[in-house]
Amino acid sequence: MRNKAMLIVAAFVIAAASLPLFAGPYFLSVFNTIFVYMSLALTWDIMLRTGQLSYGTAGLFGLGAYASALLVAKAGLNPLVSIAAGGAFAGLLAFFLGFGVLRLRKIYFSITTLALTTVFSVIIRNLPRLTGGASGTVLPRALFNGDPGKNYWMIYCLALAVIAISVWLSKSKTHYAINAIRNDEITARSSGIDVFKYLLFIFVLTSTIQGVIGAFYAQQYAFVQPEATFSMNFLLLPLAMALVGGVYSTIGPVVGAVLLGLVSEYLKLIMPYGHLIVYGIIIVLVVLFMPQGITRAFAKLFTRKMQVGGVDSASLRD
Amino acid sequence: MPVLETRGLEKRFGGLLAVRDLSFSASRGEILGIIGPNGAGKTTVINLVAGIFPETSGQIYFKGQEINKLSTHERNHLGIARTFQSVRPLDHFTALENVMIGALFGQGMHLAEAREYAYEICDLIGLKNVDRSIDNLTVLDLKKIEIGRALASKPDLLFLDELMAGLNADETAEMIEVVRELQRRQLTIIVVEHIMAVVRELTQRCIVLDGGAIIAEGSYEEVAKQERVIEAYLGKEE
Repeated sequence: MRNKAMLIVAAFVIAAASLPLFAGPYFLSVFNTIFVYMSLALTWDIMLRTGQLSYGTAGLFGLGAYASALLVAKAGLNPLVSIAAGGAFAGLLAFFLGFGVLRLRKIYFSITTLALTTVFSVIIRNLPRLTGGASGTVLPRALFNGDPGKNYWMIYCLALAVIAISVWLSKSKTHYAINAIRNDEITARSSGIDVFKYLLFIFVLTSTIQGVIGAFYAQQYAFVQPEATFSMNFLLLPLAMALVGGVYSTIGPVVGAVLLGLVSEYLKLIMPYGHLIVYGIIIVLVVLFMPQGITRAFAKLFTRKMQVGGVDSASLRD
Repeated sequence: MPVLETRGLEKRFGGLLAVRDLSFSASRGEILGIIGPNGAGKTTVINLVAGIFPETSGQIYFKGQEINKLSTHERNHLGIARTFQSVRPLDHFTALENVMIGALFGQGMHLAEAREYAYEICDLIGLKNVDRSIDNLTVLDLKKIEIGRALASKPDLLFLDELMAGLNADETAEMIEVVRELQRRQLTIIVVEHIMAVVRELTQRCIVLDGGAIIAEGSYEEVAKQERVIEAYLGKEE
């Protein structure tokens, strides 16, 4: 059973890796976008596993994007190095911000992280000499000269790395700490868990990843602009994907990102106007009727069928 | 040297003085009872020593070290563990994993090591079928998980907050045996308890709290006779 699951995973990994060999630029760009949002959905979910509902995903994504773009435009840094630098910048800032925001809980944490996103974008808008202000900054060259295959491989590897981090976390001691914190912070503290240390670790980790993804996005399109780079889409779409797929898991955000990514692309094709309404309705319906997410709903259906099968064969023997 | 000593401990919640001028100590291997009517400040004492909230004034010494400034998890690392009056098990974890939490973070063990140790603890306290989810456990088992998680952090001082509340006679007897076994292992145990039979059975010494202050101290037989204690529980006869 376990081997079979591993084979299926391996087949998916190889199939996705070989996509540029046979798919055209359109499909590559669709999946490129899916992997961007998948990575963000996973980071949002990882933070949620500590019990903290972050609305700051778009903010750290945007900061990473700007840091990377400006380092290339103003300091002539290598674009690939600048992607790492964008992540480091977002992570470092999250480290310092963490000392403030991670003392907040529940709605106060959420609102503050949302407000920070706006603050970042307002600051950037008001530094026109450095950032290009409201009209943004255009880079001389796109990453890999805009080669769709190479860009696809790059974001694919990044997404795989984020998936690996998420899986590793769910098997580590950290998993026990953050799950305990989400469950009951007083019990966690009384059992020796340094709550702040773990929250800070997860906040810095997820912010770094969001920064890296933002930096890649900026380099791929060779462009940053406050409204586009700090767009609420980089918060709301990952959030919807994790919710639809199933939170507190790796498989949930991954499946959610692929499903919603493909559905939104398909809807765009069949109804250029109004596709967002249908998209929204789908999300609402899934959250209403499968609050555990699609992956858990299917898992339940599958195990129930197996149990029913077991009962049947037992009664046949009698 | 006492394991725990408080000097002039005081806690004020707004206008309410929940604990006033509290000085007491507990020595190694002792079972100390803290009793008193509802609202006497018993659980507040636990919360102060465990560091859930800061004291208004006074000192707390643990194994000779002043711990006032330490946070809750640091106090746990030093060897203070507790159970909660209303059980607070961690959902999404099995019974064993709940116990593991204490070993993982109180003792800093690795996963495999903590799992082994948690099995040992569950064995010691008679917690069975530990790989189940905690959804449908009995009150007795949930209380055992509380003790198990606290024990897994290898404490020197263990607070048991209303451990017997909600248990029937057989379960209470079983739990008393568990606590006795812990005492044989030289643990210092402070029980906060409402059931007087349990206090008589378990403790060598009691302090009686009323209105946040100590009104009597001594063996259960001694304090139970004192007029002030009877008044605190039953009210003054006019």
